[in-house]
Amino acid sequence: MVDSSGTSAHWRGLAELLRPHRRRYLVLGAVLGVASSIPLLSPLIVGRVVDRAAEGAELEELTALAAALVAVGLVGQAVAVLVAWFATRTAWQTTNELRLELADHVLALDHEFHRSHTAGELVQRIDGDVTAVSDFLSQVVVKIGGALVTVAGMVVVLTLLDWRIGLAMAVYVAVAFAAVGSRRNHAVEESSDELSAHARLYGGIEERLAASEDLRSNGGGAYAVQGFVDHSVEVAETAVARERAYLRVWRIVSLGIASGAVLSILGGGVLVERGIITVGTAVVLFQYSQLLRRPLEELMDQLQVIQKATGGMRRVLELRAERPTIVDCGSTSPPAGALSVELDAVDFDYGDGERVLDGVDLHLGAGRSLGLVGRTGSGKTTISRLVLRLIETTRGEVSLGGVAIADVPLAELRRRVALVPQEVQLVAGTVRDNVTLFDADRSDDDVRDALVQVGLERLADGLDRELGAAGTGLSAGESQLLALARIWLRDPDLVVLDEATARVDPVTEARLEAALDALVRDRTVIVIAHRLSTLRQLDEIAVVERGRVVEHGERVALEREPTSRYAALLRTGAELPELAP
Amino acid sequence: MNPWRLSWRVSQHEPALAWSSVLLWTAFFTFPVVIGLIVGEAFSALDRGDLGTARLVAIALLVAEGVRMVLLHVAATRFTRVWVSWQSSIRANLLSDQLADVRDELGRPVPSPSGALSHFRDDAEDVARFIDGWVDVFGAAVFTIAAGIVLATIDPVATLVLVVPILLVAAITWYFGDAVGDARRADREATARVTAALGEVVGAALTIKVNGASRPVLDHVGSTMDERRHTAVRDRTLDALVRAVGSSMTDVGLGLVLLVAAVRVRSGAFDVGDLVIFATYLTWIGFLPRMIGVTITRRRQAMVAFDRMRLLVADDEAERTSTQRHLALHGDAPLRPERRVPERVRLDRLEVHDLTVRFGGEVVVDAASCTIPAGSLTVVTGRVGAGKTSFLRGLLGLTWGDDAEGTVMWNGRVLDDRAAFLVPPNAAFLPQVPHLLSETLGENVLLGSDDPAGLLDALDLAQVELEVDAMRDGIATRIGPRGVRLSGGQRQRVAAARAFVQRPELVVLDDLSSAVDVATELALWEAMAQAGMTVLAVANRPVAIARADQVLVMEGGRLRARAD
Repeated sequence: MVDSSGTSAHWRGLAELLRPHRRRYLVLGAVLGVASSIPLLSPLIVGRVVDRAAEGAELEELTALAAALVAVGLVGQAVAVLVAWFATRTAWQTTNELRLELADHVLALDHEFHRSHTAGELVQRIDGDVTAVSDFLSQVVVKIGGALVTVAGMVVVLTLLDWRIGLAMAVYVAVAFAAVGSRRNHAVEESSDELSAHARLYGGIEERLAASEDLRSNGGGAYAVQGFVDHSVEVAETAVARERAYLRVWRIVSLGIASGAVLSILGGGVLVERGIITVGTAVVLFQYSQLLRRPLEELMDQLQVIQKATGGMRRVLELRAERPTIVDCGSTSPPAGALSVELDAVDFDYGDGERVLDGVDLHLGAGRSLGLVGRTGSGKTTISRLVLRLIETTRGEVSLGGVAIADVPLAELRRRVALVPQEVQLVAGTVRDNVTLFDADRSDDDVRDALVQVGLERLADGLDRELGAAGTGLSAGESQLLALARIWLRDPDLVVLDEATARVDPVTEARLEAALDALVRDRTVIVIAHRLSTLRQLDEIAVVERGRVVEHGERVALEREPTSRYAALLRTGAELPELAP
Repeated sequence: MNPWRLSWRVSQHEPALAWSSVLLWTAFFTFPVVIGLIVGEAFSALDRGDLGTARLVAIALLVAEGVRMVLLHVAATRFTRVWVSWQSSIRANLLSDQLADVRDELGRPVPSPSGALSHFRDDAEDVARFIDGWVDVFGAAVFTIAAGIVLATIDPVATLVLVVPILLVAAITWYFGDAVGDARRADREATARVTAALGEVVGAALTIKVNGASRPVLDHVGSTMDERRHTAVRDRTLDALVRAVGSSMTDVGLGLVLLVAAVRVRSGAFDVGDLVIFATYLTWIGFLPRMIGVTITRRRQAMVAFDRMRLLVADDEAERTSTQRHLALHGDAPLRPERRVPERVRLDRLEVHDLTVRFGGEVVVDAASCTIPAGSLTVVTGRVGAGKTSFLRGLLGLTWGDDAEGTVMWNGRVLDDRAAFLVPPNAAFLPQVPHLLSETLGENVLLGSDDPAGLLDALDLAQVELEVDAMRDGIATRIGPRGVRLSGGQRQRVAAARAFVQRPELVVLDDLSSAVDVATELALWEAMAQAGMTVLAVANRPVAIARADQVLVMEGGRLRARAD
């Protein structure tokens, strides 16, 4: 291997993964050992039949040997099925744990990490890469391990018969395996060429189907089919090239097996003539040489699985090495009840030197409500993320209830501070699953109560109703209400509301406002406002402009003061000049 | 629908290649009969103490293995070609009907192009696998008969006993066939659930995080993973079981043979050589019955595949998926499908009478009529969803089946098949959202016609020539999948050039302005007027309406002249 140090790290990672399961793998190894030794028996029985018949054995003995052969055939394959069952089970148990661990790890990573990786990519890394490792454990380990046991057993059996034959077999096996192993990169390039030819073929077909009307109406049908023929020619050529590459390795295996047969006949003949072995042993020798075909072919097939698994393991370790910057090391609990919020001289940038927040001071008393007003990009959302500790300040400090936010244990922070996001994310599951987010400890009564409180009586009657991932069956407004029900159920002390811009019908809007009214009572509330009309019930207003709080005061006072920015905003109309985010 | 007959037609796509592959495979499968005989002879000689003969026979064995290798090489490469050609012929049939510009050959439009890919990929492969099954069954049968004859001359009773394991394997493979398929499907579905659950969790990471819901949500994902573990174990174990049944028969069969022949073995009438022959042949005993079982399962899969693919070809007629066509994918020059170009008929006057178009059973264009004189610009305007696009599609014969009714007359003659007649050089169409192919820019405009001068003229007319000249590769620029390397406006104008390139008698434009600015749009109208084109266009900007010779307003599916 070229990068031996890197590769060994992958294997160490794998070993670490298996350690907690070592007992299972030991059992698997034992069963595998038995399963792989059984095929060694039948040639021995056949050889015995040959020798005993020549020595004039009784009929009963021959019949018993024949019956033993039937038994070996049945038991051997039964154990092989057992191995397949046990290996698959063990591999999936082990790797499912790894998948969950990775999913947990990914969830804990920063907001920025999630913004720079698509969900599809992460799913591939959590599930796809681990499945490559799982295939390695359930197939490669079993097949190559089994082959090694069979081959070693063969050498042992032959050595017991005669050490010279054993030695010869060992040399022969080593050469054969080395020859196949040296071709470990066989057909890799050809296979990937074939895959890309297929990708082009299907991509082309999809494109042509999408352009169907364009092509039909402009006389391009025949031309498009021509392009398809060209792609098909490419598929045929690459498939043949891949097949040829495969045949090259197959020839090595076949040549090995054929020369094994010839050697066993020639060598066996000499040994029989000199009286060193019996004809029956010569038969054993011949059959053993044929028994090698399977292991060699499997070695050939599995080498590619090993390569995939190595790549998978490498990416798993890389993902594990990603560290969240938000560290959970706090131990101070802020006082119970509604939380005050303080931002002191807070700067923030996303690491690119461009200040998103610039010296922000903002104090909000416990149980008060504040509306944050400003254009898209002014820094409103960044303030909300800081308060939720989804990001950390570059300079300055955020405190909740007088405690620096980093000193609050994360679990407590998540319990006491809630966010109603602008875009409600629903998951495929029942109404109950969507309100509790799969928390089974919540009683149905609590869930129903939360739904009724936010005005979703309609859903309270059918908690088992299935909702789709995209919120099928719910209007945009109802999704908003459902997000409020989540908050209601959790009873937090600080609520951050990223108010939705979604077009909500007037009836739903009235329900939303009523629900909000109830929700904000006895809690500290920060509302990121997109529509000024929803600020009517709030205590205070802060206007944010280019990363600074340029105005902060009692709402009523600001409304009355004609020179205030807020009053100016109110005058320009009910709508803020909001750009699409 | 008979999957046997349809698959037979597919298999005869390139008969010479197909039949030679079958013969070569059969020879390869049957070759172990010869090898068994040679090995048997070697051990007989050993038993007699005749070392000289044993040596000669060993060399013969080496030669025989060499011949077998060559056989495999030729058989495998030929078979790979024929395997691809079977699938390609099916795909070509599906694609041709999807792109047909003749009404009677047009297949039902697919709901989603990416969704339809599984017909081109999985269904075509299922049919090829079924045919492959026959080839294997045939080869295995020839081997089994030949081996049976050899064995019967050694010991007829022992040979007859072997029928038992053969029938057993066939029965078990067939019995488990459905279960294996079901387990595979269940496992795929479980995997889809795992990835869906994971995708949601990762996608909704923010919500989960701020609600402190990681633990319960991961438990939920964990339960889908547990489910998949069970389906995976079931799938792999069943697979191993079916394989094991076949493999076990080698030893079981030999044991049975020895039980039956024990008396003759003891007397020496059944010697080492005979035993070795039996042992060698029995290695392959499971092959025929297993392939029979597998092929029975594949027959059903092929039937399902034909039934699914039927919906992509004209008249939902499964027969059309297996239409014989010669694609000749190997050799120097693959065969090209022929272009059918209608004869150019000079346009004096186009008349539309009572054109009604339905979409999903609903009337979207209601008895629209109009007359378009040659050399004029007719603009259709109206609100979103008024039926403008449907009107153009219905007129051009792009709708499927009976979705459009009414007559269109070209110089007073009724067009029987508008789809076939209203293509270049008679008519060309620019859709609202044009689709381009990932070929070169020039190829996208020409669509297979050979007219380099016309290409430049068309680009000039479409106001895109200067930009094309500025590209490093000019008209040879590869524009990427769906033309992503072009801007939206460039795509629109390249597609316009595609409509202009053959100087059609009638140009139909659906909302040219959606991706170009007013100045460019003005230049386009100007250029078309100068070229004396007859144009029917959906347009909403005043710049188009001002230049129109005739303005029609579409409202709620009804077409009327503008009242002014």
